Amino acid sequence: MNYNFDWGVVVDAFPTLLGGLGLTLQLAVITIVISMVLAVPLAMARMARIEVIRWAAQAYIEVFRCTPLLVQLFWIFYALPALTGITLPGYVSALIALSANLTAFMAEAYRSGFQSVPVEQVEAGRMLQLSHLQQLRYIILPQALRQQLPVILSLNISLFKDTALVSTIAVADLMFIANTVSAQSYRSLEVFTVAALMYFAIAFPVSLITSNIERRMQLAAGHGPIGKKLFLARLVPGKKTVTL
Amino acid sequence: MRPAHLAQEKAPTMENAPTIDNVEQASRRGEVLVSARGLEKSFYGRTILKHVDFEMKTGDITVIIGKSGSGKSTLLRAIAGLTDPDAGEIAIGGKTVFADGARTKEWNTVKSDVGMVFQTYTLWPHMNVLENLTLAPRKRLGMKAGEARDRAEIALEEVGMKHHILSRSTQLSGGERQRVAIARALMMKPKLLLCDEITSALDPPVAAEVLEVLRRLKEEDGIALALVTHDMAFASKAADRVVFFHEGEIAVNSSPADAFDHCTNEDLKRFVDAVRF
Ligand SMILES: Nc1ncnc2c1ncn2[C@@H]1O[C@H](COP(=O)(O)OP(=O)(O)O)[C@@H](O)[C@H]1O
Ligand SMILES: [Mg+2]
Repeated sequence: MNYNFDWGVVVDAFPTLLGGLGLTLQLAVITIVISMVLAVPLAMARMARIEVIRWAAQAYIEVFRCTPLLVQLFWIFYALPALTGITLPGYVSALIALSANLTAFMAEAYRSGFQSVPVEQVEAGRMLQLSHLQQLRYIILPQALRQQLPVILSLNISLFKDTALVSTIAVADLMFIANTVSAQSYRSLEVFTVAALMYFAIAFPVSLITSNIERRMQLAAGHGPIGKKLFLARLVPGKKTVTL
Repeated sequence: MRPAHLAQEKAPTMENAPTIDNVEQASRRGEVLVSARGLEKSFYGRTILKHVDFEMKTGDITVIIGKSGSGKSTLLRAIAGLTDPDAGEIAIGGKTVFADGARTKEWNTVKSDVGMVFQTYTLWPHMNVLENLTLAPRKRLGMKAGEARDRAEIALEEVGMKHHILSRSTQLSGGERQRVAIARALMMKPKLLLCDEITSALDPPVAAEVLEVLRRLKEEDGIALALVTHDMAFASKAADRVVFFHEGEIAVNSSPADAFDHCTNEDLKRFVDAVRF
């Protein structure tokens, strides 16, 4: 195979690609913030004592977990206007679809985090006259978030990568820009390689942090505190982990 | 060293002088503080409390004993407001707090007088000792950080844990955790402290230390204590009343002497023998 690389195209288009990455990051961050907040009431509704509320929450979660994100995106962008007469810009549709989807997954992570908090700790708060909201804010949430941190981080990495789907509804994210540049320059190999590296450069560090936290939590659960040396050793991918 | 009463933080220089709270509490010693009539409770068709009548006096230690599953926790939880009985009435300090299957309006004015400590997972592990103690006073009583810390120091002093004020709760031993949990309950100045098997997970000498803390609280602060325990030595030494639960009913309710030395109830005799080995 004899392919003549032409990185000049990429050099020229680099600022444009960076602009696309900027929009991708913006979409991801806004989506993550919205979802992490909305997942709290959704997770609580999923555990509610009143059956109707519980079922409604579960139905919502299952709909978004069991249909493709791309279909959800198209539904909100194309079908919702047909239904309501309101046409939303691509960017807004993208934010709604991504947030609605991530919220469903996030709520399930929260729920198992909530359930990991021993009931005595919550009842102790109740006996000290803390309100429901204060019990949630000061006793349940901090522990649930900490316990589910690896899950929450991997959900966020997935979401970050899945934002590429919004390019299909003409939102000028990194994927959309890469596609455009590649079509104009006939240099798809170079352009998509650079796009992939950009996604990787953001996601990989978070992924490393995630597996690190996970290992540390496993160790803390079974084997007490771990030394700094061990912690650093675990940052190096592929390096054999010490078995205790 | 006399651990200062919690109410004394306003006059720290008069360590030994009785405060208004103290005098009031002391003068009420012997008055009925908790009165429960005809409590019934079933879980999934299984009757746990069968028409239970229960009474506690101000400044008394009431020890509740009985086999596991006999309904001891359910009674404490009903008094604490964590479980609603199916039927019966509960009055605290002369105010009806539960009647006709529901908490009354008066419950809201009384519930802060009731504290409870549990057997396990008593402290919030993501906070240190000081944060455990000051969270509720700051958020519920609107106390400033400094004032809350002062009160925390007094409460920790009372349970002999002041030197651990900045320790993480996960660094404490089981007995230390329980003592901090007691101090945390004291922060809200309860008149009544309910302790559900708070020493059951502890080694006997450590358990004895924790129980000694409770006995001092009663002596010096006049706090009424209801505690579920399997420690018969403590029950016979420190209890004012012993209540024996048997299959959801109070089978014996008497002084420790009558309960242990002149016992006529066969179930209680068998229970005491079983606990003694
Ligand atoms: N919230 C609950 N739901 C269902 N069953 C319960 C609940 N609380 C207590 N029970 C049942 O009631 C029985 C008596 O409980 P409890 O009052 O805890 O007994 P004790 O404290 O004397 O061991 C237990 O066997 C338990 O199965
Ligand atoms: Mg019990």
